[in-house]
Amino acid sequence: MSAIVSVENVVKEYPLGKLKVRALDGVTLSFGEGEFAAIAAPSGAGKTTLLNLIGCVDVPTSGVVRIDGQATSELDDAGLTRLRLHKLGFIFQSFNLITVLDVYQNVEFPLLLQGGMTKKERDRRVREIVEQVGLDKQMRHRPNELSGGQRQRVAIARALVTRPRIVLADEPTANLDSATGQNIIGLMKEINRKNRTTFIFSTHDPMVMSQAERVIRMADGRIVGEERRAAEGAA
Amino acid sequence: MESLRILLLMAFRSLGGHKIKGLIVGSLLAFGTFLFVLGTTLLESVERAMEASITRSITGHIQLVSARAVDRLTFFGPEASSDQDIGVLPDFSRVREVASKIPGVAAVIPMGRYYGQPILNTELDEAIEALEEAFAEGDPAVIEDRIGKVRRMAARLKEDYLRAAALAADDEEHEKAIAALDRVTSEEFWTSLRHAPEEGLQFLAFEIAKLSDDESMLYLPFIGTDLHRYAESFVHFEMVEGEMPPPGTRGILISQAAYDQFFKNRPARVLDLLHEAKTLDGRRIADDAALQDLVSRLKEMTAQVTMHLSPRAATELDAKLRERFPKVEGDLDARLAAFFEVDDENFAERYEFFQKEVVPHIPLYRVPVGGTFTLRSMTKSGYPKAVNVRLWGTFRFKSLERSELASAYSLIDLASFRDLLGLMTAEKRRELDSIREEVEVSEIDPNDVEAFLFGEAPVIEEGGEADLDLDARLAALDRPTDEDSDTFDPAEIEKGTILHAAVVLHDPGKLREVMARLQEAFDREGLEVKPLAWSEVTGIIGQLVVVLRAVLYVLIGIIFVVALVIINNSMVMATMDRIGEIGTMRAIGARRGFVLALFLLETLVLGFFASALGALAASALLALLGQTGIHTHQPFLIFLFGGTALYPAIDLANVVWSFAVIVVISVISTFYPARLAARVPPVVAMQGKE
Repeated sequence: MSAIVSVENVVKEYPLGKLKVRALDGVTLSFGEGEFAAIAAPSGAGKTTLLNLIGCVDVPTSGVVRIDGQATSELDDAGLTRLRLHKLGFIFQSFNLITVLDVYQNVEFPLLLQGGMTKKERDRRVREIVEQVGLDKQMRHRPNELSGGQRQRVAIARALVTRPRIVLADEPTANLDSATGQNIIGLMKEINRKNRTTFIFSTHDPMVMSQAERVIRMADGRIVGEERRAAEGAA
Repeated sequence: MESLRILLLMAFRSLGGHKIKGLIVGSLLAFGTFLFVLGTTLLESVERAMEASITRSITGHIQLVSARAVDRLTFFGPEASSDQDIGVLPDFSRVREVASKIPGVAAVIPMGRYYGQPILNTELDEAIEALEEAFAEGDPAVIEDRIGKVRRMAARLKEDYLRAAALAADDEEHEKAIAALDRVTSEEFWTSLRHAPEEGLQFLAFEIAKLSDDESMLYLPFIGTDLHRYAESFVHFEMVEGEMPPPGTRGILISQAAYDQFFKNRPARVLDLLHEAKTLDGRRIADDAALQDLVSRLKEMTAQVTMHLSPRAATELDAKLRERFPKVEGDLDARLAAFFEVDDENFAERYEFFQKEVVPHIPLYRVPVGGTFTLRSMTKSGYPKAVNVRLWGTFRFKSLERSELASAYSLIDLASFRDLLGLMTAEKRRELDSIREEVEVSEIDPNDVEAFLFGEAPVIEEGGEADLDLDARLAALDRPTDEDSDTFDPAEIEKGTILHAAVVLHDPGKLREVMARLQEAFDREGLEVKPLAWSEVTGIIGQLVVVLRAVLYVLIGIIFVVALVIINNSMVMATMDRIGEIGTMRAIGARRGFVLALFLLETLVLGFFASALGALAASALLALLGQTGIHTHQPFLIFLFGGTALYPAIDLANVVWSFAVIVVISVISTFYPARLAARVPPVVAMQGKE
């Protein structure tokens, strides 16, 4: 299994007044294509920081993060933006939909940013993914007309519409009731299986962890343990 | 294109999501645009109307002046009444010849502006003259009638003197005057006058006439010009009364407004003013202090009616006034004073009564049309000069009748004008040339001729016989003008000194082009002449539009600065509000430029619609005003409007300009917050706040 994400000896420090807070303290790990991995840790252990670095919204203080072989610290803002747009998909804890756009437009948005696609093809892609997350009836609804679970489905559709290699999800179920959370994880897993998209998500919900093939445990900015479980139906 | 669509959509939607902010900023921008379009359009309409007012009546489109002029030629405002040194045109005939060849030039009219003081007979003068005439004719009834007039005036004058004596300290002059008046108010004086008029009339003419002091010293500004060419070239010009003097005849045309203001019988004039104020301006005496003041002054003016009435007319009027005021004691003056006590209710009726019963019996103007009066001026070299001028008629400038500014100037023939300024007529110049040859003085600037003739310039130094001869000739040159013939050769006159000239164009739009061509032609011909645009010679009036424009721009500027600050502020706040959303967009893969464009577009969209609304509202208002017109009776506004109504016309350029300004304002005001937004790091999207 070739590593699509590799994190090598990464340190991340934040200035806090005159002090420096070390959020990640020498983390090394990698993810292969088609993985469905959870990063499990209590709040403040550094899991969001790790996701930020993998998600190219931040760069490490030292060490290297490679996405599909490309070291993020070598890229400028435009390069990181391009990387996010083409290779990554994001699912946020608070869904982060664009409130002024409807479901269809929210999902279409990254495709518009990418450009170079006919209207027809874009339409086909949007409808396909919206159907896949089961919101074809809510296509023209605005986010405030949707339930939490529905919103997160829109976010998943938005993350997947560009067919990214990696989808990052930061506590995707934290703002959802457990049944809905279960549902969302099920959906993510289904897509993972179908498209072989790498999913990396952070959580501290044991229910969610139990769905993951690989669980990485963190504490105080370090990796403190890892479990692998055979994925159902995967080799 | 597709991302522009989503940008526009987002801009619209987020505007919809921030209605209050949009409303405040939008109404500011809309109001700014409204004011911009309305203000600039009105100003331009005023400018065009005023241009027409001025260029079609007084200045023409271009004024030609000497390039050596020290002061700027000015027709209006304080500079106009000062003594301007504008030099003289080098050679008017050639200047006209050169200028007339330039395409677009319709006419070149010689001009000069100056002012003089009309010396008018006092009313007492006239009454005494009339009495002399009556004695010469010998009709006893007429003599009695006129004796009555003079006696009434003398009695009134005596009252004035006694009143003044009560206030002022005694002085000899005053006592002598009262003694003289005592004599002419006594019965014996008139008894002896009837028997031997000679001595009494002399006493009246020499001792009494001078005691009557006339009211205001008035200065009459006039333009010395070729009257016929003026009348033909200035389309606003039209005669009111009288006729144009035949070509080559001396004479003056007074503007009807100046004629009414300075020459009309005063109570009649005051009644006219009240009438105009009430009927045209809709003012009410009851709540207008200025009109009340006029009424109270009117009550003091009864003598200016009664002294002109023949005894028969006086008796008839008295009888009619007795019917109206049976309780008023005293004489006709007392009853007339009661009659003059007008208010809003009785004014219309009394005005009509006055026109019907009084006006036919008094001389309505101090100089009738067709009459002659003496105009006195100070020549350029500072000695007084008097010229008798015939008042051929009165004129007005169409639709500017009530504008004091437009009717300030009267028009006088060039020959009289030259005399009043002490300038050379061609005839005098020839005479001077021959003298010059004799005394072998080679170069005398025509401007210095007065100095040459009357001292100052050290021109003639040799003594002897020649001097005596010269003195005699110079004396002959300065013979009183009224002995000159009252005709002149119009072709000849233009060879003499001309101060400046008006150029009237076929198409006022070509002003700058024609000016450039004129300058070029004069330079080529070696004529030291400078063309000035009408707006440059109208002094304070020409600057008025500039000042109004400045005020308008400052006002609009303030509104736009306020809009700028508010937009900037609210966009900064919006950025703060939408930090999560911006971060999300950035995380998903939106470039900084996208965020920048989004924010700029939001204000642009707002600006576009707000200013469209403002421009539309202004255009609607202007279209309405263009139909109904903005009406005025205010003399100054009449001048600005070129008539009693201004019909503004919308200029698309102003609308386009306002859009351009709004775009700039929007971009400037949003630039900082948009940059701020573009710098929001994508990592904030992960911070989990919504």
